[in-house]
Amino acid sequence: MRDRRRGIFKRGLPVLALGVALLAALAPVYWMITISLKTEVDEFASPPKWFVFTPTLQHYYDAFVTRSFGQYLLTSAIVALVSTACALVIGTLAAYALTRFHLPYNLGRKLSLWILSTRMFPAIVTAVPLFLMMRDLRLLNTKAALIVVYTAFNLPFVVWMMRGFFAEVPRDLEEAALVDGDSRLGALVRVVLPLVTPGLAATAVFCLIVCWNEFLFALVLTQTDAAMTLPVGIAGRVTQYEIKWGVMSAAGAVAMMPILVFALAMQRYLVRGLSLGAVKG
Amino acid sequence: MPIRFQNVTKKFGDLSVVEDLSLEIDDGEFVVLLGPSGCGKTTTLRMLAGLESVTSGDIYINDELVNDVPTQQRDLAMVFQSYALYPHMSIAENIAYPLRVRKLDHNERDKRVRRVAAMLEIEPLLDRKPRQLSGGERQRVALARAIVREPRAYLMDEPLSNLDARLRVQMRGELKRLQHQLGTTTIYVTHDQAEAMTLASRVAVMKKGRLQQFDTPLNIYNHPANRFVAEFVGSPSMNFIDGKIERGMFVSEEIRLAVDRPDGNVSMGIRPEHIHVFTQPQDGTIPAKVYVTELMGNETFVFLSIGAQKLIARAAADFRAEEESTVWLRIETDKAHFFPKRQSTDYTE
Repeated sequence: MRDRRRGIFKRGLPVLALGVALLAALAPVYWMITISLKTEVDEFASPPKWFVFTPTLQHYYDAFVTRSFGQYLLTSAIVALVSTACALVIGTLAAYALTRFHLPYNLGRKLSLWILSTRMFPAIVTAVPLFLMMRDLRLLNTKAALIVVYTAFNLPFVVWMMRGFFAEVPRDLEEAALVDGDSRLGALVRVVLPLVTPGLAATAVFCLIVCWNEFLFALVLTQTDAAMTLPVGIAGRVTQYEIKWGVMSAAGAVAMMPILVFALAMQRYLVRGLSLGAVKG
Repeated sequence: MPIRFQNVTKKFGDLSVVEDLSLEIDDGEFVVLLGPSGCGKTTTLRMLAGLESVTSGDIYINDELVNDVPTQQRDLAMVFQSYALYPHMSIAENIAYPLRVRKLDHNERDKRVRRVAAMLEIEPLLDRKPRQLSGGERQRVALARAIVREPRAYLMDEPLSNLDARLRVQMRGELKRLQHQLGTTTIYVTHDQAEAMTLASRVAVMKKGRLQQFDTPLNIYNHPANRFVAEFVGSPSMNFIDGKIERGMFVSEEIRLAVDRPDGNVSMGIRPEHIHVFTQPQDGTIPAKVYVTELMGNETFVFLSIGAQKLIARAAADFRAEEESTVWLRIETDKAHFFPKRQSTDYTE
């Protein structure tokens, strides 16, 4: 009897801990989604209507048809995808060079640390210089400005992630490819990259999430509807006179979806990518 | 194709890995670079492949200077110790890779892959991935990938060292036959002297980046150029007895033997098969104590001591002697090798 009770306790505790963690993580999401589906009256009901209310898609209509959230969504998607692609291409090549080529004066190591150091200062200190630079380049309120900035900020991350993955690939494989008659680039594309696909996928997911959620630079560098990204657009519904909770929640719920779907699709690679190298074999 | 190394030196920083190496390899030869680890044999191979640059000196393939020719244009095939099969490709794709890079059309590629696979008896494996193969099978695939495109020469970097003993001997024989069939110049790196003796038409023995001797296996064994070669080639290893020669007699602390050599301090080298062990005294034999015997099945190694001097002799399989018992030795002094005596301060030997 006592043994059985202890068994229940032993099994119950992890479930309880998981339950609490899930609740803490999912409660805000649940609240956001329910608000996006409630009428304005229900939103402010007291006591709050947790589960039972009359659902409406009015806020979604408001956000994406009446207002320009569709436009923001498109901008966000373009900026995130293009800058992730740029960061991956440049960063992967840089990481490959850093892991495979001997630079004189130990430059390989110094350059790597220098690249990493650009992630060490708070991003906000570059906001004003970047604003001035983009103004002089006449790139304010353009997607190009955001793409350039996001690429620059994701690069160190890509370089450091990919450096680790490249280091895992045995040199013999590339040398075999070279002896077999392939060029360096050919060996990279045909032999090395297929082997680091999980790493590439994991890195891509992180870059996309960073770009998708980025708020500070998007706020500083874009003010027009045509160039505004989703996070800035959503925050813009907090005005001097009113806060459009319903519209913000609807936009938020939609904004969450692409990343969620993408991360789920990449889950297999994500786990493998992040744990690659942890265990030999 | 003939291959020529001319005064080739390779340095990593201040460390000299290969020093002033000159080798001339004839067309169709099977040359083995033999030496202990760190002797520069792999570096030599990698320089020939173009995976390592040359610090000074010249390398010629078919009389063409290749120092600055990139790896991909040297048209050599290499078999790596790790096999270096591309893990994400099927066996067929692995073998076809050199052809695919050369943009051969699909039918021709397929035909050649099948032909090589048949030759190495790996046809049933073509659709599998490298990780599904055993060590011996991977070895064959690595070979297949090398021979599929008929290169100017094969480079092999300890290709058999990851196989178990039985498979190693089997693959050794197959390699030899294959090379005879193809008649392509082959340079083979190993630290296993048995592989060198059995495979090579000529063996290049290296030590600390320097070539010690470059000759046929038989000459290396029977006429070693120096004490290192004498010691490194042959198993069990050659016996060495330090002493001096005075008026036709070799004299060490424990042994006196008549030899036909000029006077001087020498180290006498004698192979285990040139020491004959008897349980009864005979004419011209010297007494020794049995330290231990090792029965190998087809023969017996007898470890002996004469005072502080240790010797190994080969005896017949039915030879029996108790430990610490006295036996009598006949040493074939006409088969002995004489080297300058090693200085006690000379640790480089």
